[in-house]
Amino acid sequence: MKEYFALQYRMINRRFKDAGFEPILVYLILTVGFVGLSIYLFSKTEFAEYIFLLSALTLIGKLSETRRTEFLKICFGDRQLKKIRITENLICSIPFLAFLLYKQLFIHVGLLLTLTTFLALVNFRTTFNFTIWTPFSKKPFEFTTGFRNTFFLIFVAYALTIIAVSVNNFNLGVFAMLLVFATTLSYYSKPENEYYVWTYNVKPKEFLFNKIITAIHFSSSLAFPIAIVISMFHPEYIGILSLFFLIGWGFLINVILSKYSAYPDEMNITQGILLALCIWFPPILVILIPYLFKKSENRLSSLLK
Amino acid sequence: MIAIQNLSKKYGTNEVLKNINIQFDKGKVYGIVGENGAGKTTLFRCIADLEEYEGKISSNSTPIKHQLGLLLTEPFFFQKITGKEYIQLLCNARKIKIADIQERNIFDLPLEQYASTYSTGMKKKLALTAILLQNNDYFILDEPFNGVDIQSNIIITEIIHKLKSLDKTIIISSHIFSTLSDTCDEIHLLNKGSFIKSVQKTDFPVLEMEMKQMTIGSKIENLRLI
Repeated sequence: MKEYFALQYRMINRRFKDAGFEPILVYLILTVGFVGLSIYLFSKTEFAEYIFLLSALTLIGKLSETRRTEFLKICFGDRQLKKIRITENLICSIPFLAFLLYKQLFIHVGLLLTLTTFLALVNFRTTFNFTIWTPFSKKPFEFTTGFRNTFFLIFVAYALTIIAVSVNNFNLGVFAMLLVFATTLSYYSKPENEYYVWTYNVKPKEFLFNKIITAIHFSSSLAFPIAIVISMFHPEYIGILSLFFLIGWGFLINVILSKYSAYPDEMNITQGILLALCIWFPPILVILIPYLFKKSENRLSSLLK
Repeated sequence: MIAIQNLSKKYGTNEVLKNINIQFDKGKVYGIVGENGAGKTTLFRCIADLEEYEGKISSNSTPIKHQLGLLLTEPFFFQKITGKEYIQLLCNARKIKIADIQERNIFDLPLEQYASTYSTGMKKKLALTAILLQNNDYFILDEPFNGVDIQSNIIITEIIHKLKSLDKTIIISSHIFSTLSDTCDEIHLLNKGSFIKSVQKTDFPVLEMEMKQMTIGSKIENLRLI
């Protein structure tokens, strides 16, 4: 078991080194960042402890992946597997536990410890074999797979729209619409395997236009019902609503182009900063979109000759 | 026809392909054999234009990739995409309209299920079905028989015969010699990035014997099994 954790430690350090960072420096930045964010979170919202618990469980949940657990079981056997899983879950929850202790939230500490142990001992393998229906089946893949992963968020957005109408809250309605756009943005966050770009018989420009048109078409079909409902109850704000709709499209195009401007690599820090700049000041999109389009064309030119 | 002239490929200082010269004619099936790491997959990736290379690769239809069906050793599938959607995606990419996917599902795959839940052999069959429905002129099949059941092996062999009769160019790599001798017109032996032997159908048994001797040698004795 000791060797296993020593190997994990070496693997983590290797990742940092491969990315060009000194591991000690990364650990230091992560610690300071974690403490800073935690203080900020607790100063901003009364629900901080729940967000905190949820974040810890999300992180720990990633270690419970079925194939990983199966691999460990094959290597170490049942008894050792449980020890390893409990230990690694505890290691991951240490920062969260420490901060909750500092905040004297002892019930939450107990809850997190219990859930941490529980997650280490259960296997979430399912024999459930059900294909979720999607309206985007004809044009795979981003919206097809994305919708299946996030359909509950779309339902949440529609539920929020109904609440917004019933309590006569325009802002909540806009939030619901933007939630749909934000969800669809996530469909374009990771680069696909190069085979799925290579196989297209088009030039980069046409490829990008097709991607953008599909994204606008499908995201609009999800967000449009919300916009219609809200504008029916708040006709005086149709202008503002249309503006938000346009901004939603702008972000979507921006994310698609950001992805392909780094392709086949993942989006890098520069693209992240540019995205953050757009959120802070959306008119930048007008300059950024043509720039990223050109860059994407260049990046795709080796695969789409 | 695909003509390869003076093809070389390096990864850093490691020269994976060394001055390859070969021509693949239409209506013929070519087998490429060689040890793991001999350069087969790299050669296929170069033909498909997935790699930068030195030398020249030309064909009747330029670029080749627009008419090339590429079956990878381990096809990649997105999570939560069904078999039918995968075929649709690949046909859309080549602007092929296809309405009767279910009828053309000759391997009886569960097309409404997520492709990522398929077994290795089923994934291979799905990827093969998709490239067949793309109506390509050239086919590169990297280990098409790998992980596939015996019934499907027979079907794949027949498909290759059919493609040949339709004047398509087919290049196959396989570690199972019998599947190559059943399907190929020529077999080329790739070793450390160079073709060291090319044989016609009549000489396949000789090549198989030679490969056995060359590969095994005294290695089994070295294991000192008791």
